[in-house]
Amino acid sequence: MLNALRWIVFAVAALAMNVPVIVTVITSFKSAKELSVNPGFWINQPTFDNYLKVLQVSDRLNIFAYFWNSLTASLIGSALAILLAFPAAYAMARGGFGRKTLLPAIVNLRAVPLIIFAIPLYMMFQWLGLLDTQLGLGLILTVVNLPLALIILVNAISDVPIEVDEAAKMDGAGVLHVMFGIIRPIVRPALITAFIFGFITAWNEFLFGLMLTTNKAVPMTVGASFFFAASGGGVQWGVASAVMILGALPPMLLGLVMYRQISGSMTAGAIKG
Amino acid sequence: MDLARRPEWKLLTTPLVGFLLLFLGFPALVNLLYSISTVTFETLRSPTISGFGNYFSVLVDPEFWQASWFSLRFGVLTALVECLLGLSLAIFLSPLLEKRSALMAPLMLPLMVAPAMVGLMYRLVLHEFVGPVPHYLYAWFGDSPAFLNVQNAFWTLSVVETLQWTPFAFLLFYMAYQAIPGDVREAAAIDGASPWQILTTIDLPLMRPTIVVAFFVRFIDGFRVFDNVYTLTGSGAGGSTTSLSIYIYQAFFKQGAIGKAVAASVVLFVASFAVLYAINRLASRKRSAV
Repeated sequence: MLNALRWIVFAVAALAMNVPVIVTVITSFKSAKELSVNPGFWINQPTFDNYLKVLQVSDRLNIFAYFWNSLTASLIGSALAILLAFPAAYAMARGGFGRKTLLPAIVNLRAVPLIIFAIPLYMMFQWLGLLDTQLGLGLILTVVNLPLALIILVNAISDVPIEVDEAAKMDGAGVLHVMFGIIRPIVRPALITAFIFGFITAWNEFLFGLMLTTNKAVPMTVGASFFFAASGGGVQWGVASAVMILGALPPMLLGLVMYRQISGSMTAGAIKG
Repeated sequence: MDLARRPEWKLLTTPLVGFLLLFLGFPALVNLLYSISTVTFETLRSPTISGFGNYFSVLVDPEFWQASWFSLRFGVLTALVECLLGLSLAIFLSPLLEKRSALMAPLMLPLMVAPAMVGLMYRLVLHEFVGPVPHYLYAWFGDSPAFLNVQNAFWTLSVVETLQWTPFAFLLFYMAYQAIPGDVREAAAIDGASPWQILTTIDLPLMRPTIVVAFFVRFIDGFRVFDNVYTLTGSGAGGSTTSLSIYIYQAFFKQGAIGKAVAASVVLFVASFAVLYAINRLASRKRSAV
C-alpha cells in the first residue's frame, strides 16, 4: 500500500519536473496546423517537418554553426579547466600548498555572481579581439568550470595513498613524471567526470554567450532563442521546439549515461564548497 | 609546514593562479576603477576619475532596490521550497530508489537542461494558444491565469526555478540519507523507536550539515538568477522580474550606463563577499566546536 503511494509520488514528481522537456518533445512532432487545434499531450499526425526545417540554413539562422560553436567553446572550457586544475590540485593534495587560502578562495568563486566580471571582461575582450570568438567564450567557460574541476581533482588525488608517490620517487622519478605518468592514470575516472561535468556546464551556459558573442561564435543556448524572435508571421512553435530538443540533447545524453558519476561529484562539490 | 614551501608546488599552481588573475583579478580592478569614473562607450579606454557619483546613482535608484528585493525574495523562497520538497522526496522515495537506481535518471534529467532552454520551453508550455497548461486549464476549469503578468510573473518564475532545481536538493539529501548506517536505525527500532522518532532524532540531525549546505547553494543560485528569467520574461512584466543580474545587464547593454552598471557590480561583489565570509565563518566555527 505504502509502496503503491511511493510509485505514485515518484511518477508525479518525475512528470512535473520534466514537463518542459516532455511538452517540447511532443510539440516538435506536431505541424503548425495541428498545434493550432490541438495543444494537448496527444499527437494526431506525427511529422518530422519541424526537424527538417531546423536543419535548413538561412542568413539569420544556422543551427549547425550554433552547434559547432557550443561544441568548440565547451571543449576548450572543459579541457583547459582540467589542464590548469590538475597540476594545482596535485600541489594542493600532496604539498598542502594553498589549502588555507587559495583553495577556499577558488571554491567560493562558484558562489560569486559572475555577472560582476562580465562588463570588464566585455571591454577586455574588445581590446584583445576576443569578442565573438569561440576561443574567447571557451576561456570564460574555463573560469566557470575551474572551481569544481579543482575540488574533484583535489579529492581524487588525496584519495591516492602517498606511498604510491614515494615508491616512484624512490625509483628516481621526478615530480612531473609522478604527476602525469603515475597519478594521472590512477585518477582517470575523476578526470573524466570533471571533463563531462565541465562540458555539460559549459554547453548550458547562457549569460556569457549572450554578452560576448553576437554573430560568429553564438552558442546553442543563445542561438535557440533566435528562433523565438518572430520573423513576420510569429513564432513557429514546432520549429522552435525542434531546435530546443536538438540543442538540449547533448548534455541530456551525457547526463543520462554518466548520471552515477555526476551525482557523486555534484554532491562532493556542494559539500566541500 | 615545510612541505608547503617547496618551490615546485608553487610552480605547479602558477598557471592556475595566473589565469584567474588575468580573467578575474584584472576585471575586478577595472570594475573598481570604472566605478569611480565617468565613462561612455565612446570614451571606453580613457575614463576620467570623477568620485562616487556612480555609487550614488545606483543607491538612489529605486529599480536597484526593487531588483535586490526580487533577488533576495526569489533566492530565499526557491531555496526553502526546493529543500523541503527535495528532503521529503529523498526520504519518502528512498526505499523505492535503493533497489532500482535507473529510476534516478528521470529525477536528474532537469539538471542537465540549460536553464536558458528551460525558460524558452516554458514560453511554449504556458503560451495561451499553443501551451498545454492553459489549454487544459481552459478545458477543465474554463479559465487560465495570465502566468507572466505583473502580479503572477514572480510566482511563475519561482515555480519554474523550483521544478528544475528540486532535483539538486533531492540528490544531495538522498546521498546523505543513504550514507547513514542502517544499524543505527535498526538499533533505535529495536529499542522501540517509532519511524517518526527515528526520522526526527536520528536522520534529520545527521543530515543537518547537508541541509544547510543545500540551502545556501540554492539560495546563492536563486539570488543571482539570470538565464531562465531572461529567456522567459525578458525584462517584461513591468520590471517586476528584474533580478540583480538582469539589472546590471540592462544598465550596461540597454542603457549604456557603464559607470552605473559597474558600480552596481561592485556593490553586488561586496554583498556576496560579506555573505560568503559569514557562511565560511559559521562553517569553521561549527567545525571547531564539534
